[in-house]
Amino acid sequence: MPFGYHGCYLRVDVTGGSAERVPLSDAVLRQYIGGSGLGARLLLDEGLRLRSGGGAVADPLSPEAPLVFAFSPLVGSPLTTSAKFAVVSRSPLTGRFNDSLASSGFAIAGKRCGCDALVLVGRAPSLSVLIIDDGEVRLEPAEDVRGATCQAAEEKLRARLGADYRIASIGPAGERAVRYATISHDGRHAGRGGSGAVLGSKNIKAIAVRGSQHCEWAHPRVLTELSRDLSKRSFGPATAKYRELGTATNLLTFNRLGTLPTRNFQSGTFEGAAQISPEQLRVERSRTRASCVACTIGCEHIYSIGKSTGGSIGKSSVRLEYESLFALGSLCGVGDSDAILRASRRCDELGIDTISTGGTIAFAMECVERGLLDEPWLTFGSGDAVLKAIDLIGEREGVGQLLAEGSRRAAETIGRDSLAFAPQVKGLEIPGYEPRALQTMALGFAVGARGADHNRSGAYEVDFSEKVDRRNATLASVCHAIETEDKAALMDSLILCKFLRGVFTDFHAEAAGMLQAVTGWDVTADELRETARRIVATKRQVNLLAGWTAEEDTLPGRFLDAPLSTDPGAVLTRERLQELVAEYHRQRGW
Amino acid sequence: MYVEFLGIPRERAGVSELEIEAETLGQLLGTLARQCPALGELIAEDRLHPSIAANLNGDAFVSDPETALSRDDRVLILSADAGG
Repeated sequence: MPFGYHGCYLRVDVTGGSAERVPLSDAVLRQYIGGSGLGARLLLDEGLRLRSGGGAVADPLSPEAPLVFAFSPLVGSPLTTSAKFAVVSRSPLTGRFNDSLASSGFAIAGKRCGCDALVLVGRAPSLSVLIIDDGEVRLEPAEDVRGATCQAAEEKLRARLGADYRIASIGPAGERAVRYATISHDGRHAGRGGSGAVLGSKNIKAIAVRGSQHCEWAHPRVLTELSRDLSKRSFGPATAKYRELGTATNLLTFNRLGTLPTRNFQSGTFEGAAQISPEQLRVERSRTRASCVACTIGCEHIYSIGKSTGGSIGKSSVRLEYESLFALGSLCGVGDSDAILRASRRCDELGIDTISTGGTIAFAMECVERGLLDEPWLTFGSGDAVLKAIDLIGEREGVGQLLAEGSRRAAETIGRDSLAFAPQVKGLEIPGYEPRALQTMALGFAVGARGADHNRSGAYEVDFSEKVDRRNATLASVCHAIETEDKAALMDSLILCKFLRGVFTDFHAEAAGMLQAVTGWDVTADELRETARRIVATKRQVNLLAGWTAEEDTLPGRFLDAPLSTDPGAVLTRERLQELVAEYHRQRGW
Repeated sequence: MYVEFLGIPRERAGVSELEIEAETLGQLLGTLARQCPALGELIAEDRLHPSIAANLNGDAFVSDPETALSRDDRVLILSADAGG
């Protein structure tokens, strides 16, 4: 067994609370590393096992559907930002592969349970807490936390079980199978694709872990030196944006470039951008900063709700990221910063993905505008409407029952060509990058295994450079999209925070050095490039098993042929996107 | 021409825009480094730090110091790392 690993995963059938340790070969660990990569491989193995047993591909919310929590060899090491875990399953939103990542002490405590991953199958007979105590597994009732917010459930369960437990929990939305429910720990969320609904479908409100089993490092002295150097560099200009302003500062930049999705992608600029920008928020509100566990960047910018400056931040506050700001702000036409902050906090409490929440609400607002949905209160620009819609989604009440299904399913129900402006790919709502004005990103969205996502394809980096014409993608853009997708897959498997990417001068060589120091493998940069391609291909294999077809690799009709209203030069023709996707498939060898 | 600052460059410059005379991008960056010493860590001679990008009029991104500028241009200096 290599250093940095336990060499096994824990497979738990929550139906009866039984568990078995399943060995992981050195070859599998080296080929998939950990995190998203290892999770993809375990998910594929589970899917193939089901199929060979004569079973159909399980519905993502069925008891048979596996839910994987995958750690990595770097977890527990002194490398900055390495305290991360990946949650991998098929998405109830897309039906396709899904991996969502979070940073927290749950990763460290989970790995100390003596395993490199947890695989959950089955369905508990009643709402339960899954407790993994140094590898010993048991279920306890969770009726006392039914309906509790993510944060309240975590606090209450820690009070019950002990402060040394780390607890990942779902909120009310996960219990009610909202298809974009999250899994939360310590204020961070494994956010996209509905992993919280998958956990909820297993009748598991929370997973509590603690352990004492440490992994040894192959070359501790080298690892310490590498960690010191990486931490030092993480304080430099390459991360200043995250540290000083947070991701929310994208808002004004994107607005200036005409790439800020507004009113359900009907515009690329928002007249209220300045008033909801972080530059304005910090003038009128108290603000503080925080970091994930084992992180030296400190990107979390927490704002007070209710305008006040000076003094402590208080309990009424929320961490605000660009994606939440755009999705609950400009995308819904909301220029009221307090409403956006409240909405973001409510999403955290209910345990729902802010991007899918904002995208689905914005879609519904356009349906109301077009007379396709009879909810006259649900109008662009109304912060109150966004807040009301979020509560209805969390409760699955009224129109919330429809919106809890996500924009694609809602469009299929509403009909009348509304699918053309449902802002999603494969069912996953599009993040805050206007595809017509960022066309390498458009390709990344179209081909993404989990749907439209900026964390699995960093192709926007290419659009924000002189390598391409961002409004006129050519076949030369394809290799850039592949390169950024591969890089993301590798970072998500190591797992390291993507906010470090500007710190590396040669990411693959440095990553190889880290893996050498941790595992003792003679791994090279070229091997890691191959590993990344293997991981991307494995995600696709999961999708093929689930029924994926090439026709899914596209964008909704809104983004094709017609120019962006605020940028007549931003046109992506259907034929051009088809050419790009075909070239992507060709270069992938698919 | 006008230079607009966004993100970290705006933090360092302390203003959202400046009027500057320059014939090339390299000249413009050199002038900026002199006029706004706080931008120093973001400008090395006539080039921007890799974490920062320059954009012409909201259209093309440019980095070649010899890039010609005209009086009507608006040069955006912004954080290149757009993710988050």
